[in-house]
Amino acid sequence: MIANAWLIPGLPLAAFLMNVSFGRRWLGRWTGTIATAAVGVSAIIAIGIFFEVRAGALRTVVPLYNFMTVGDFHIDVAALIDPLSTAMLLVVTIVSFFIHVYAIGYMAHDRGFWRFFSWFPLFVFAMLILVMADNYLVMFVGWEGVGLCSYLLIGFWFERPEPAGAAKKAFVMNRIGDWGFMVGMITTFLVFGSMNFVDVFDRVARNPPAQGVLSLICLAFFLGATGKSAQLPLYSWLPDAMEGPTPVSALIHAATMVTAGVYLVARSTPLFDAAGPVLAGVAGVGALTAIFAATIALVQFDIKRVMAYSTVSQLGYMFLALGVGAPIAAMFHLITHAFFKALLFLGSGSVIHGFGDVQDMRRMGGLRSKMPLTYWTMVIAGGALAALPPLAGFWSKDEILGSAFKNGYPILWVVGVFTGGLTAFYITRAIWLTFHGVPRDRHLFDHAHESPRVMTVPLLVLAAGSILVGFIGFPPDNGFIHSFIRPAVETGTGSAAVEAGTNWLEFLTFAAISTAVGILGILLGLSMYSRGRPDPAAVSRAAGPYYDVLVNKYYVDELYDRRFVDVAKAFAGAAWAFDIHIIDGLVNRLGWAIKLSGGGLRRAQTGIVGNYALSIVGGLLLILIVYGGYATGWLHR
Amino acid sequence: MTVPLGAFIAVSAVLFFLGAAGVLVRRNAVVILMCVELMLNASNLALVAFSRRAGQLGAGNPLDQRGSVFVVFVFVIAAAEVAVGLAIILAAYRNRPTVNVDELHQMKG
Amino acid sequence: MFDFLEPFFFGLFALGIIGAGAAVVTLRRITAQALLMALTFACMAGMFLLLGAETIALFQVLIYVGAITILILFGVMFTKVDDRGYGLFFQQQTPWAAAVVLVIALPVAFLALSFHDPITPSAKGGDLIPLAASLFTDYSFPFEVASVLLLAALVGAIVLVKRDDQ
Repeated sequence: MIANAWLIPGLPLAAFLMNVSFGRRWLGRWTGTIATAAVGVSAIIAIGIFFEVRAGALRTVVPLYNFMTVGDFHIDVAALIDPLSTAMLLVVTIVSFFIHVYAIGYMAHDRGFWRFFSWFPLFVFAMLILVMADNYLVMFVGWEGVGLCSYLLIGFWFERPEPAGAAKKAFVMNRIGDWGFMVGMITTFLVFGSMNFVDVFDRVARNPPAQGVLSLICLAFFLGATGKSAQLPLYSWLPDAMEGPTPVSALIHAATMVTAGVYLVARSTPLFDAAGPVLAGVAGVGALTAIFAATIALVQFDIKRVMAYSTVSQLGYMFLALGVGAPIAAMFHLITHAFFKALLFLGSGSVIHGFGDVQDMRRMGGLRSKMPLTYWTMVIAGGALAALPPLAGFWSKDEILGSAFKNGYPILWVVGVFTGGLTAFYITRAIWLTFHGVPRDRHLFDHAHESPRVMTVPLLVLAAGSILVGFIGFPPDNGFIHSFIRPAVETGTGSAAVEAGTNWLEFLTFAAISTAVGILGILLGLSMYSRGRPDPAAVSRAAGPYYDVLVNKYYVDELYDRRFVDVAKAFAGAAWAFDIHIIDGLVNRLGWAIKLSGGGLRRAQTGIVGNYALSIVGGLLLILIVYGGYATGWLHR
Repeated sequence: MTVPLGAFIAVSAVLFFLGAAGVLVRRNAVVILMCVELMLNASNLALVAFSRRAGQLGAGNPLDQRGSVFVVFVFVIAAAEVAVGLAIILAAYRNRPTVNVDELHQMKG
Repeated sequence: MFDFLEPFFFGLFALGIIGAGAAVVTLRRITAQALLMALTFACMAGMFLLLGAETIALFQVLIYVGAITILILFGVMFTKVDDRGYGLFFQQQTPWAAAVVLVIALPVAFLALSFHDPITPSAKGGDLIPLAASLFTDYSFPFEVASVLLLAALVGAIVLVKRDDQ
């Protein structure tokens, strides 16, 4: 199975090629089936690989072809199959498969159905390349590929200005991160002479370079991760990316692309471990992002925006885990989050689909009776997000918080716990506003309906995942996932240190604290929204300016606009003026000069034969003079 | 006393430049054509003179007839040229009834 | 005794050539010009004879005096000479032309006279046989090409003169 690893990205690629070439005219509805089938088979192969890796194939390199060899620079397109990449393969293919199924239903009425199912498997292909690469360069190919597909899919309804602008914003912000990735990648080559993971990590262990250089590399890679995974300061593209269709939000902006940054840092654990203070910076940024985004999610009215900010916040948790030296916890949370966040998005999509394409929660209410299946799956997902035991989110988030405290970051632990409370509150609010209470828009409510089975079955599957996936991390610190991933990230320098076994007392203490905070959040939410104590409107009024700041997302977009976008526009205007006046002016003046000289020279054409004959004779005279001069020696050669 | 080669060449030169002057000065196209014929004749004379001189250099020298052969071709060319030149003059005369080359200046720039 | 004959005839023919040539260039009556041109050709044939190239002289008389003079006379007959005054400034180039020509002609003539090699008729007599031998063996290809050229000129002349309304 491992030898066939290249089929995994190959099949979605083939689906893309077929759909994009023939989808418009001939394949029509079949494009959906083709893409889904391709991803499904990839998932099966990934499962097969998983079993082989578990049986002991801990690190296999599956080469495909030699990309380029220029002097010392040698890059192969090859896959590195180890527990870390296998875990990602499973998440990406399985979750992608179910979201593809869902999308067949969600996009059924869209004119661009074939186009959607061209870009969707292309995205899966790029993500798989990213995950399977055995060197930074090939990873970067996948990295950029997912950025491209994100642009294509966010701007799927490009005829409207908002999606087009959001797609552009996402791509440009991603690009800033990409620059960081490139700096890291190139510096890695300069320092280690290779971009290959195995080689680089080997050399770091045996002959580590100066910590300054290593910090630079890690910071550069982290900048890339920030862009891709929507951390501060490059996060603001993610909420705007909600302009894309909901399956896109679910797959790309919840389960896969945004986790690429986490995967990058996890994969580069040997580098980050040796770089010292950079890890603390990573943790800090992660924690800060987590609480920052959670505060914004408290007051949003668009159901998808709530989920978007929630994603940013949860990604912050993952980086927090990486930063405190718990990459396994980060990966664990990545896996559980993929399930429950995708479920939350798909559920939101189901609501939107059944509620006449309306996303504003202020017009919803009481949908519980109309969409029971959606409701219950959303509740399960919400509980997982709020880290209620025994749902999946509880196990992974608790491990992160526990690691933060144990590895010496008590302040970050406090931040994480508090953010957990905020998380519980805002998800309760979102679910209540949507499904409970009195319907606020009677007309829309009457027409609301549950989604078709092609959409609800994936919801059920993901709900099951949200319940069960957490148990791969049971018992805490000593579960299946720990033993599985540990060999891929251990470096012997302290991170992911081997635990002797589960310390139940420690675990239960932390669990109790964070669960209590979570329940507090839920209770406060219920109290405010079902009973009106305190009344949410009154609270917003009382909070006054603070409330405004939150609703306006801390005015970050406006700040970026003024500080960066306007500057860029001014520069572009200057460049345009330069082009028009100076460069075009030069060319125009040249043409004008030629015209002028032509106008002058044409006067030699008098049309009088005698003049022409005279010039012939004159030329003859000249020739004779020259020839005679050479012959007589009067003119020297 | 034999005539030196230079005499023939001098005559040829004078005739050639007389013809050239005629081409430049005269305005009647037919007269210009006549002057061109004079020039051609002058060059023929020079060629034959040099050819005969070369013929004395070495008996049986295979190169000594090149000049004369060239003259034969000049005859051919001259004849063809007069024919075509006159045809052009007559065609132009039909368009505007003039052979004054100063009036045939529609190709001016 | 007959030594002086050659220079005498040379002078005669030279005078004829240059005189008739000057007349062609300067006279105003076109028929006179045409006939004097024929005289130039005839004297030229005499020059060829002096050089011992009688075949060339023969061709000269046949082609130039015979055919080309007739052609020129045809041209004279079909066109009417009109004498306009000078028009634009650039059309008055007689002084310039005369100057240029003299500037070149006189030095060249003087230079030419510096060739003192004598020309004696070749002992083998006549140039017919050597000429024929060269023309039809070494230069047979140009000879054939020349005939094609004549054909082309013939056809070209006909095409040029054809009236369009036929």
